[in-house]
Amino acid sequence: MASLVTGFGRGAMTNHWNDIANSDCIMAIGSNPAENHPAAFGHITIAKENGAKLISVDPRFTRTSSKAEIYAPMRSGTDIAFIGGMIKYVLDDMEKNPGSYNMTYVKEYTNAAHLINPAYKGPVDLDGLFSDYAGTLNETDSSKTKYKTGAKLFNWESIPASWDYQYDEAGIPKSDKTLKDPNCVFQLLKKHFSRYTPEMVNKTCGTPDDAFLEVCRTYAATGQAGKAGTICYAMGTTQHTYGTQNIRSYTILQLLLGNIGIAGGGINAMRGESNVQGSTDHCLLSHILPGYLKVPVNSDSSLQAYIDRTTPKQNDPSSLNWWKNTSKYIVSLLKAWYGKNATAANDFGFHYLPKVQSGVNYTHIALFEAMAAGTIKGLMCWGQNPAVGGPNSNVERGAMDNLDWLLVTDMWHTETANFWQRPGANPANIKTEVFLLPALSSYEKEGSVTNSGRWSQWRYKCADGPGEAEDDLWMLDRIYKKLKELYETEGGPVTEAITGLDWDYGDDHPDVRAVAKEINGYDLTNGKLMATFGALKDDGSTTSGNWLYCHSYVEPDLEPDAPIPGNRASRRGLDDGPFYIGLYPQWGWCWPVNRRIIYNRASVDLNGNPWDAEHPVIQWNPAKGDSGGWDGDIPDGGAAPMNQGGYKPFIMKPEGLSRLFGPQADGPLPEHYEPWESPIANPMSQQQINPAAKIFRPEQRGDPAAYPIVCSTYRVCEHWQGGQMTRNMPWVVEAMPEPFVEMSEELAREKGISNGDRVIVESTRGKIELAAVVTKRYKPFQMNGQVVHQVGIPWHWGFTGLAKGASANELTPHVGDANTTIPEYKAFLVKVSKK
Amino acid sequence: MAQEVERYRKPTRVLHWVHLCAFVVLFLTGLILFVPGLAALAEDSWTRVIHRVAAVVFIIAPLVYMSMNWQATWRGIKEAFIWGADDIAWLFAAPRYYMLCDEKAMPPQPHINAGQKLWWFIALVFGAVFVITGLIMWFFKELAPAALLQWMVFFHDVAFIVSGAMLFVHVYLSFHPLMRPLKSGPWNSMIGRGTVSVEYAKSHHGKWYDEVSKGKKEA
Amino acid sequence: MAEKAILYDATRCTACRGCQVACKQWNENDEFIPEPPYTWDKTVNWGSYENPPDLSPTTWLKMEFREVEAGGKVRWLFTRRACMHCTDAGCVRVCPNGSLYHDESGFVAYNKDTCTGCGYCVDACPFGVPRSDRNLITGIAKMDKCTLCTSAGLNRLNEGYEPACVKTCPPDALVFGDRNQLLAEGKSRVQALKDKGYVNAYLYGEKELGGLHVMYVLDDHPEIYGLPANPQVPGTTVAWQSVLQPVGWAVGGLVIIGLGINYLVAREAKLARALPAKKKEE
Repeated sequence: MASLVTGFGRGAMTNHWNDIANSDCIMAIGSNPAENHPAAFGHITIAKENGAKLISVDPRFTRTSSKAEIYAPMRSGTDIAFIGGMIKYVLDDMEKNPGSYNMTYVKEYTNAAHLINPAYKGPVDLDGLFSDYAGTLNETDSSKTKYKTGAKLFNWESIPASWDYQYDEAGIPKSDKTLKDPNCVFQLLKKHFSRYTPEMVNKTCGTPDDAFLEVCRTYAATGQAGKAGTICYAMGTTQHTYGTQNIRSYTILQLLLGNIGIAGGGINAMRGESNVQGSTDHCLLSHILPGYLKVPVNSDSSLQAYIDRTTPKQNDPSSLNWWKNTSKYIVSLLKAWYGKNATAANDFGFHYLPKVQSGVNYTHIALFEAMAAGTIKGLMCWGQNPAVGGPNSNVERGAMDNLDWLLVTDMWHTETANFWQRPGANPANIKTEVFLLPALSSYEKEGSVTNSGRWSQWRYKCADGPGEAEDDLWMLDRIYKKLKELYETEGGPVTEAITGLDWDYGDDHPDVRAVAKEINGYDLTNGKLMATFGALKDDGSTTSGNWLYCHSYVEPDLEPDAPIPGNRASRRGLDDGPFYIGLYPQWGWCWPVNRRIIYNRASVDLNGNPWDAEHPVIQWNPAKGDSGGWDGDIPDGGAAPMNQGGYKPFIMKPEGLSRLFGPQADGPLPEHYEPWESPIANPMSQQQINPAAKIFRPEQRGDPAAYPIVCSTYRVCEHWQGGQMTRNMPWVVEAMPEPFVEMSEELAREKGISNGDRVIVESTRGKIELAAVVTKRYKPFQMNGQVVHQVGIPWHWGFTGLAKGASANELTPHVGDANTTIPEYKAFLVKVSKK
Repeated sequence: MAQEVERYRKPTRVLHWVHLCAFVVLFLTGLILFVPGLAALAEDSWTRVIHRVAAVVFIIAPLVYMSMNWQATWRGIKEAFIWGADDIAWLFAAPRYYMLCDEKAMPPQPHINAGQKLWWFIALVFGAVFVITGLIMWFFKELAPAALLQWMVFFHDVAFIVSGAMLFVHVYLSFHPLMRPLKSGPWNSMIGRGTVSVEYAKSHHGKWYDEVSKGKKEA
Repeated sequence: MAEKAILYDATRCTACRGCQVACKQWNENDEFIPEPPYTWDKTVNWGSYENPPDLSPTTWLKMEFREVEAGGKVRWLFTRRACMHCTDAGCVRVCPNGSLYHDESGFVAYNKDTCTGCGYCVDACPFGVPRSDRNLITGIAKMDKCTLCTSAGLNRLNEGYEPACVKTCPPDALVFGDRNQLLAEGKSRVQALKDKGYVNAYLYGEKELGGLHVMYVLDDHPEIYGLPANPQVPGTTVAWQSVLQPVGWAVGGLVIIGLGINYLVAREAKLARALPAKKKEE
């Protein structure tokens, strides 16, 4: 998500499930949709039957590979080398066959032409590192900031000075539309990826040349204007110490091929939970507020200081720079939360908000490390099972021993709720007070769910829940009311932060529709629901609990035909006009403002005509209205085509363009590093691992001599996440009863293991027993004369429930991505032996 | 009271009736598979349970008999398999004898005549077929290959058809006009004290009667 | 009523096994559901994604996984295993009392109440589908197999729904409808596969056993998917049901008629012989 923000401006699947059917080529890399997104795979099937090619790039031959036209094996953790090789192929081919690519797109819709500070140096010059590196080679102290930040890009993003644009006198980034300037992004790309040759790909990824080149040829064919290729990724991409940069590599490839914003294109982050997009939109993550507003930090001394820090500033009149509206969204949010207690005089209650400490990590691994250290004393787990799903689960389960209290809400007993009963623990020594609140399932309550494609769909209650189970809203309402009572009677720090909340959703059972309306927001001048976020104000006269959702629940007269009048998420219209490309604009509602394919202004040429006449997303219609208008999807920024003075297409980026060159904590361009634990030396540079990776417990790093086998964790179709929901379903358990380790026939022979044997898999973190699945679908990687074996373990199991089994996460390390600290579940080292 | 000759000893008579009962039960519960109209009787497998109970009797009864009557068993089995001139003569005479009741046409016969031998032979052979195929179907349903099981059904059925038909003949012959009065002949030999009248013995099993009466005199 | 069928497209199937689970769930095939305290020992991982290991009286549908390697290319093939609802159905032929029969829409239905549990269908099916939960000692048994979701009280078809497996299939690898339409659909999909270069693409079930009511779109030879290339009702079934049974009836009939005639003739003859003897006495 962080990476998509960097590239395009929004951290979400660019297109949506149905749209995959429009594609000409689908590359599943870091994902296994046939296994993990079985319903979504139906759309891929439709595309295939319409002639699309499916490419599966995966360390093992998966259910998806079985349906793919092309399968290319790739060692876990080498996405950047693989995609880098594809980017080099495309860049080389662009020179030979420029007519096969949409060069207008590259020049006008990306920052390819922008000039970068001449002081910039990359891995070609610095042996795997970028300029402004402050650390030493292969330093592993992750508490230090590795790239020193000396500039503020658009007064908004802190970056190393050498990674900044060159600006003209007006403060607008300089560019060279001929793409010839040695400091232009395009030339820097060419230089950067010059080392990613097929030989290097083979040496690094273990991918056979013929398979790699077939992937390149097939996928590069979508560079033609009017052709669409989509990349479907999931956790196989993100769960690396350079997960964000993996996606950056997809971004660059897709932008060079002109595949963003068009039907059948995009980078589709396939979400693993039905509502994970919704929970991210509503600030599940620690660095954001609802609607992706940045979280306040301790240096934000006032609301204005916060607004100054979080609002990008730029001088190019052709860039809309949507985030310039930040002040309206934060004030409307504060008004939604604190109501009449939020006034201009008290900065609209800004000081009630908790502030994060700059430089402190608040992500999953860090939280559990803080529990292990005794800093965090209480934990609420809502429908989450970190004792199974968290990395290094022996550490994380043990960390919970230090808690004073633990609240778990779930439909079943989970390993997290039962952590004190785990094998090897003595309950008598654990003082943690555990509360398990029985929760309702999604079918037993009303509300909205926002799917991977950003579609918010309203659901109704269809059955009563068992026993005393209640929904999360009810529980939170009760907890809040009790807290408020305690604060009112006993007081506490910043009492008003709790007591001042405008919290009234009913006395008995909280009304979920009232919550949905508050999320949409009101115009306080007339008490009516806001029609769209375009009308939100920063003077305290409007509210919106999440500006992105402003437009979702409007006055009934604006949406009279919806089953719940005004509630657009409840719509179930099946009309797919006017272009019939599967947008279904009358079905549910989609953020932002029901725009189904974001960045769709890039789907048209400078005159507003679609690149792909067969699958137009939007089209400029000069006859529409007074001065012309757009047909089709809701255009991303409503102004006229660029040739008629319209804005640049990527309105969420200050420069109005998507970023080929996009600064991140670990570099502006993706560079291949090895996973934290790797059996080989980095073939590309002296820098073995991502220098900015977040490393906890460095002493647990496995030595490849003792732990020579690459291991990856993944999921199976039959089970879901931490397993609470599926490991208690007898029919599913019967189908997939226990965890297993998949390995090649070659490795099995070497270790004397037969199919179905019990085997021991061990890392420095733990040791588990599993059934062996010996399969032709894993092959040893031949890399640079070295044989590297890889095995894989599905991770859904634990010690509680109907189906029990070893947790793969006993083996995984506490290391995370440089930008997001997402744990490196996908590549670590183990040894395997027969039991 | 007319003079009588012992024809079947008590164990033999008991075995006969026990086995017949078992066979009839097996026959009827098996017949259901032939007559769809009787399907209602077979619901919930209870006829299959009866079939198995009867099968146990069908198997165990002869085994008990054999263990207690080795010599008679051995003699009886020999009788079924050793055929001689008398039997050929019987075959030639049988049509006239049974159709026209021409008792003079039939030469004197030993203890059992060829017709009885044939029945006895069928009872032994197809009894064995029943038992072997039945046990395989009973206990090896899960293990044996489908084709073998299907052949077992086939041969069980062949045995059913042949022995079933012959059972009709057997029962019928005990009612045959030649057997009258019933009390003096086969019925008494199996139902009563196991004896037949001297006249019956003379007319139906002349050779045997001669042997028996000679033996008596010798004794 | 028009003949109904299921079209299964192996090229669409991802073996998610939604069908397998939905089949069990809808048809309440939950004998294996344990009660607390849970001791799960019904299935184990035996080195495969495939489970339960075989069809059973409570597993009417299961997905099979096959790994094939040829010319350095690995393939992972998925096959749906359940009743094929044959037109010339060995089970219907062999069923002694008509408990198995063809429904008016062409599929093979059965009356579980009248099933005697003989198990002949188990051995007569060329696809090895019917299963019985036979008690080894008593022989008490009932045959079970796919009912196409028509079990009493759970009849989806009567209510106008498709079978549970079809309903749940995410990639639409299963379609339910009129057989004629699905036949045409299947043929066109096979043709499309051939056009893509799958020269061995084949519509399984178009002609096999007089036409199956579960047809498979395959991109390769049926044997590679574990399907018999030329399924036949076993010769023994034909010999037993079509030859021996009539012979049995004929033999039985002839014997009874013969004996009756004999009785009438012999009785007359005996009377005739008895009369002169009596006269002599007189």
